[in-house]
Amino acid sequence: MTDRNIFVYIETAGGEPVKVGLEMLTPAREAAGGGTVTAVIIDGQADHAAEEALRYGADNVIAAACDAAPPENTVGVLSLMAGKYGPDVIMIGSTPAGRETAPRLAARLGAGCITDVNALTVTDDGIVWTTPLFGGTILEKSGVKTDVQVVTIRSGAFKRSEVRDTAGGGITNEEITLQESGVKTKIIDSVVEISEQVNLEDAEIIVTGGKGMGTEEDFLKISELADVLGATVGATRPVIEAGWASRAHQVGQSGKIVSPKLYIAFGVSGATQHLTGMVGSDFIVAVNKDEDAPIFEVADIGIVGDAKKVLPIFIEECRKLKNE
Amino acid sequence: MAYIISDEAKDLLKDVKNFCDNEVLEQCKGFDRTGEYPADLFAQAGELGFTSLEIPEEFGGPGLSRVDTAALLEEMARADAGFATVISATGLGLKPVLIAGSDEQKQRAADFLMEGGLAAFCLTEPGAGSDAGSGKTYAVRDGDEYVINGRKCFITNGGHARFYCVTAMTDRNAGVKGMSMFFVEKDAPGLSFGDHEDKMGIRTSGTCDVVFEDCRIPVSAMIGEEGTGFETAMKTLDQARAWVGVLSVGIAQRAMDEAVAYGRERVQFGAPILKQQALRFKIADMQIKIETARQMCAYALNLMDAGEPFAKESAIAKVYGSDIANECAAEAVQIFGGYGYIRDYPVEKLIRDAKIFQIFEGTNEIQRVVISNHVIGRL
Amino acid sequence: MEIMVCIKQVPDDSVKIELDEGTGKPAAGRAEPIVNAFDTYALEMAARFLETGIAGEITTITIGDESSKGSIKNCLAVGASHGYVINDELFEGSDAQGTAYALRCAVRKIEQDTGRDFDIVFCGIETSDETSGQTGPMLAEMLGCSLVTNVVALEEKDGVLHVKQETEDGYNIVETAMPCVLTAARPNYDPRYPTIKSKMAARKMPIGELSAADIDASPDRIGAGASLVRTIELSAPPKRQAGIIIKEDDIEEAALKAFRMMTDANVL
Repeated sequence: MTDRNIFVYIETAGGEPVKVGLEMLTPAREAAGGGTVTAVIIDGQADHAAEEALRYGADNVIAAACDAAPPENTVGVLSLMAGKYGPDVIMIGSTPAGRETAPRLAARLGAGCITDVNALTVTDDGIVWTTPLFGGTILEKSGVKTDVQVVTIRSGAFKRSEVRDTAGGGITNEEITLQESGVKTKIIDSVVEISEQVNLEDAEIIVTGGKGMGTEEDFLKISELADVLGATVGATRPVIEAGWASRAHQVGQSGKIVSPKLYIAFGVSGATQHLTGMVGSDFIVAVNKDEDAPIFEVADIGIVGDAKKVLPIFIEECRKLKNE
Repeated sequence: MAYIISDEAKDLLKDVKNFCDNEVLEQCKGFDRTGEYPADLFAQAGELGFTSLEIPEEFGGPGLSRVDTAALLEEMARADAGFATVISATGLGLKPVLIAGSDEQKQRAADFLMEGGLAAFCLTEPGAGSDAGSGKTYAVRDGDEYVINGRKCFITNGGHARFYCVTAMTDRNAGVKGMSMFFVEKDAPGLSFGDHEDKMGIRTSGTCDVVFEDCRIPVSAMIGEEGTGFETAMKTLDQARAWVGVLSVGIAQRAMDEAVAYGRERVQFGAPILKQQALRFKIADMQIKIETARQMCAYALNLMDAGEPFAKESAIAKVYGSDIANECAAEAVQIFGGYGYIRDYPVEKLIRDAKIFQIFEGTNEIQRVVISNHVIGRL
Repeated sequence: MEIMVCIKQVPDDSVKIELDEGTGKPAAGRAEPIVNAFDTYALEMAARFLETGIAGEITTITIGDESSKGSIKNCLAVGASHGYVINDELFEGSDAQGTAYALRCAVRKIEQDTGRDFDIVFCGIETSDETSGQTGPMLAEMLGCSLVTNVVALEEKDGVLHVKQETEDGYNIVETAMPCVLTAARPNYDPRYPTIKSKMAARKMPIGELSAADIDASPDRIGAGASLVRTIELSAPPKRQAGIIIKEDDIEEAALKAFRMMTDANVL
């Protein structure tokens, strides 16, 4: 078994580690073999995140405080830390920030870079990383030729595993000063447009409406079923483009990848980029007028018919079931 | 695509197809139902240059051959016949200027169209359909203006056009030799429009009466010499006929495409219905008609480009094209069976769209008069 | 402002691309080559930006072959004034770093030749084929300039560039120095259609062709040999087991049947 030194950059938001940050510790452990998993957190208030990192599998934590603001600070800090500690693999979550940081870091380090990994195989010779191509219709297995590997890990591809109490691990503090000239962008305003918290990634049941629902009014009735089932409402890209739902509800390649116990799709045709997002669901039920709709290729139960007509029947039956 | 066209036109055809697939096809389904005029769609088509297709190169046009342009128009007609009719009727409205107008008039008309405007041709009146020569609209000279009074009907692009080519009697005692052609701009005083007709088909095109009540236009707005209006109108129609054929072929092609797509999927007796020879032969017959009609249009248009006589060929292209379009549309509905009769499916619209092509721009009966005149000559 | 828009010609993303079992490669045959969607958004944003009255021109560039000229031509028809194809078999098999390096060399060379430096280098955030989104950020690193990703709008305020960056729950307004690299997300409008006039004009415009030597690209940094990653295998994702399709004349019956199956399977 080869021992590797794995860095896991855990992005934080408001002091909380992002989901994928903790999820990555699982494949990091696998990649490390007999080596170490070090979480890197760049945040003035890293205590809570550091504890979480240790709890979910990090052997130790580097808590870096940096004078520069994101996003420049991330690449700068990680590249300095990489130079100092010499990790074999640097894992970064495939968030918008992560997808920007990883390739920059890779270019700065002259390292091979692989984005959006959803599976890996660890051998003595090396690590084989699996990524989706063409929106998920083809899987690519790749390897990195350089000594240092920079990879981004897809959110939801791995499950985090609570391993230990936090007493074992150490936290190293690093104070980093980046040169001013390195900073060339400045966020001068930050606007939150979508205030609703839609947690698709943790949902046990998701009910999704597609353009096949016909009108916004009919689409909105999906939330009635969601309420009865205690489910989260999902939406397809065309629905979001039509303005019937906010981006927070998007399931798919460019939205969220989900893996609920039950996924019910009303009026969804099953475009590749949507299927990629939900094909990991345990049980899929789909309703569509078109019997050739691609969604039926992945559905456990498919109903060929008008989704608008099936929805009220499901709502009724679910209410009955709930009241029993 | 069976028109033989230049590389340039092939390139443009991709763009036209893209626009038609993404915008025209879907939007026009809805507009056909409601009868609402898709003003934004035509504004967009104007911006893209669809209204400039028939402008000669020397006046700023794209310099495509007529067959090149036909390929583009067929694609539009495939997507929606009404949409193509608006574009084609703009070409019709331009023709009198190109046939008999001065260079100044031609450039003015071309400029309007290049800005994205539409045009209309005003010949038909309530009392003058096939008998076009019996029009009553008249124009009286008053100083440096003409004053037009009368009413035109069934005018495509009425109320939407940037300019109108209008026939009016300048000498009511000279029969057809007393008719003149005028270039009337949309803001001419005394020009107004009737309500838009609620039509059976081509519902995305606007059709209405164009009313002249002491409508004043400058003397310079006369196209050609006084008394040559009827001749100009007839020459206009001679050309326009082939274009009607072109659009008809688009409708027929759509009919066949829909029938084939449906027939491959629809399973009866354990197999797609297009396994049945009876239906296969229907498709073969549709294809024979479509290709023949298309090539007739190409022939007529090539004669026009070559400066050769084309009136008979143009009339043939119109008659044959519109007749087969109606046949193919009906046959497509037949192949769809019961579903073909339902408005949710695309083929019943094709029957409704195709019918007018046997009627306007010279009924098919008049075309037969024209053709037989050409063949038989004076007795 | 001089804007460089980097584009990639990809298979039509509305066509499902699957693995050709025979060749072990993606079966892109049926899909027509098109300009990558996100690149078209970058071009449209750049065009609209200049149309607000800012002096400047858009140059487009792609790494490809003879067929790529079609895509460049399509860009010339919708707002670009200059176009180049970097065509050299030495580039074959380049990974993102090789690609970014080539683009960096080309940018510098064009700046040298024209005497005008680029203020903005604009890329789509990712391509629809590889979806890795690496080229833009790597290019920023190699050009040594600032990077803003997920851009959906640009504005100039007193000589400073303000860009709207889409975030998960809204947007940021980011002030950036120039030159900068921006990567485009989807704005809330569609790219324009080419007009007949612009398309015909584009056909007549010259498209520059650049070899590796022309742009001073070192052969040991491009091509498969210089690639820092290697593809081991392509495979098709495991197919889910086919499920049950319910099709009844009475939709209520169908729905109830399905519901019963779901309760039997204990998913509710």
